[in-house]
Amino acid sequence: MQDYSEKDKIEEYPLKNSNAKIKRLIKFYLMPGWRNPEFSAREYQIEKLKSKRRVFRRLITPLTLVGFFLVLIVVFIAVYAPGLTELTLANVTPPLYPGEPAFQPPSPEHPLGTTQFGWDILGRLIWGTRTTIQAAVFPVVISIGGGVFIGTISAYFGGRVDFIIMRICDIFLSLPMLIIVLVIAPLVGKDLYTTLLIYGILFIPFNIRFMRSLVLQVKQNDYVRAAISSGATKFRVMFKHIFPNAISPIIISFFGAMGVTVIGLAGLAFIGLGDPDVANWGADIMYARGHFETPGAALWPGFFIGITAIGFILIGDGLRDALDPRLHI
Amino acid sequence: MARQAQNMIKYIIKRILMMIPILIIVLIITFVLSKFMNVFPLITQVAFGEDIEQIQRIIAEEKRRMGYDKPIYVQLIIYLQNFFTGNWGDSYVIMYKTPVIEVIGLVFPKTIELMIVPIVIIPLIAVKLGIVSSTNKDKLKDTSIRFLAVLGAGVPIFFIGNLLQLFFGVSLHKFTYGEIDLPIMFSNTSGLELKGEYFTRFRLIDAILNNDPIFFFDTLLHLIIPVICISFASLAGITRQTRSSMLDVMDQDYIRTARAKGVPEKKVINSHALRNALIPSSNLIITTITGSLLGSIFLEATFQYLGFGYYFVRSVTQGDYLLINGFLVCSCLIIIGGTLATDVIYTIIDPRITYT
Repeated sequence: MQDYSEKDKIEEYPLKNSNAKIKRLIKFYLMPGWRNPEFSAREYQIEKLKSKRRVFRRLITPLTLVGFFLVLIVVFIAVYAPGLTELTLANVTPPLYPGEPAFQPPSPEHPLGTTQFGWDILGRLIWGTRTTIQAAVFPVVISIGGGVFIGTISAYFGGRVDFIIMRICDIFLSLPMLIIVLVIAPLVGKDLYTTLLIYGILFIPFNIRFMRSLVLQVKQNDYVRAAISSGATKFRVMFKHIFPNAISPIIISFFGAMGVTVIGLAGLAFIGLGDPDVANWGADIMYARGHFETPGAALWPGFFIGITAIGFILIGDGLRDALDPRLHI
Repeated sequence: MARQAQNMIKYIIKRILMMIPILIIVLIITFVLSKFMNVFPLITQVAFGEDIEQIQRIIAEEKRRMGYDKPIYVQLIIYLQNFFTGNWGDSYVIMYKTPVIEVIGLVFPKTIELMIVPIVIIPLIAVKLGIVSSTNKDKLKDTSIRFLAVLGAGVPIFFIGNLLQLFFGVSLHKFTYGEIDLPIMFSNTSGLELKGEYFTRFRLIDAILNNDPIFFFDTLLHLIIPVICISFASLAGITRQTRSSMLDVMDQDYIRTARAKGVPEKKVINSHALRNALIPSSNLIITTITGSLLGSIFLEATFQYLGFGYYFVRSVTQGDYLLINGFLVCSCLIIIGGTLATDVIYTIIDPRITYT
């Protein structure tokens, strides 16, 4: 009998421990001034210096929360799109043209009206969230990932490598971005992922420049010299010491770039160079341009583009207020 | 001061000299791009219904004349030669057989007319709004200006244009039973032409020179709504950037020293704080200017305004590759000039920055 109860106790331990850990983490971040009762005095001092809580409390301003919830709503609709509407993707994109008349006002069957060729507006809105979220994430991840990596290498080595990479960046920066995307888009086809890949690759030089200027500032510090002189390899110095300290403006521009990419892709679809196989909000605005008798057909997609982009911009602003080391607030 | 001016001139000359290799590389890139476009212009010019062999003979003759069967590097050298002597080719789809330079000369002044207000007036207003928003932080003025700025930055330009068209063109017309009638589409009332000669291609200046008031007021009336649209979008970005850099500067120690010394508050803000805050803002202002000079494509597509961006998109979708080349090279020249202007303005604002 004793063995049985001891085995139970030992098996219970890990579960209880992790529950307590989670509870203490939540209490630490949300209750101002709460200290972990298990810490010694020395650990109190270290926690105060790190001040993770201060950054977190500065993040939670009303405006940032509004932006966060706007983006959360759009992501939620994008993930659960098949569950929110009975129409599948094939019902609201070519080649299916339902035989209904175009541009009807709202009716019980189509809660927001129909657009060109008789597609339902609400269905296109819900399926369009998937396109928008993909368009927000992929180019930015590609461009910032590549730019950060090459920028750190270029700024760390200096000399010839730096010179060559900077000249290549200058060539790319002297080409107007949107116009190059316009010229390349008919060449490589209208597939959504190809367009996003090109968009991402074209914005890499801008991020190389940005990251290089940040790393040049961080390189002056003493801990970098200490790391080099204690024999750390080059990669270790670059990505363990320099990289985490230079990254906070990059995080801020990450979210700003997401807003810009959403609007850029909608604009590309507005001109007509978008993917016709996907439900795109910019294409909706293009279809419904002159038809002013159902103003909803053009206004609802634009409204949704607006709130997605505004959500990303607000998150970026909130992050900048919280993380920017120059603000002595 | 003379030494600094000398250094500045040397720096500008060095930058212009560095521009030339970049220009040549841009030309090579456009050449390579135009080779990828599977467009052969002669097919539209050869008559249908003729003998197949005659058509093939004509095509082979034209190819030999234009130099298509020479190897690629010879074609590149011919292309560069043509570019620098001013022979940019003839556009064959948009305006049949007009030289590309003439097409650019016809089209560019219309875009400049549209963009005069955002280029000249909007930076002044936007910087002033940014200063007001940063000095009254978190009060009513600040929140309302930030609200409008976030709206202008988040909502795309073509959507604002659509909204304005809907409101001013349609709803106002309906509500007032046709009394207020603002024109919303097309850049001039269709059918209205200038009575006289086009000296420059600026419609407003030509209307003044030719003493044609109808055309003048008609052009002005059609310009109002697009200008409102582009002003809203440009104001937003510059205001936000100015506000954030002013907030960075206002916490510095030298501002506290100036206030403690007794400098009036207006002078502290306008001359001590603003000078340091203007550097990232000037970058953004010049980017906005070059971006709007290149013809805002979305704006012109919404309002059917026959300007630079509109013809660019049409030539891309219709495959007029000589015109695309011409427009692309023009845009690159403008952007390179803008980068040079940014560096020069950095030195004017902050005299400590010297480029050796």
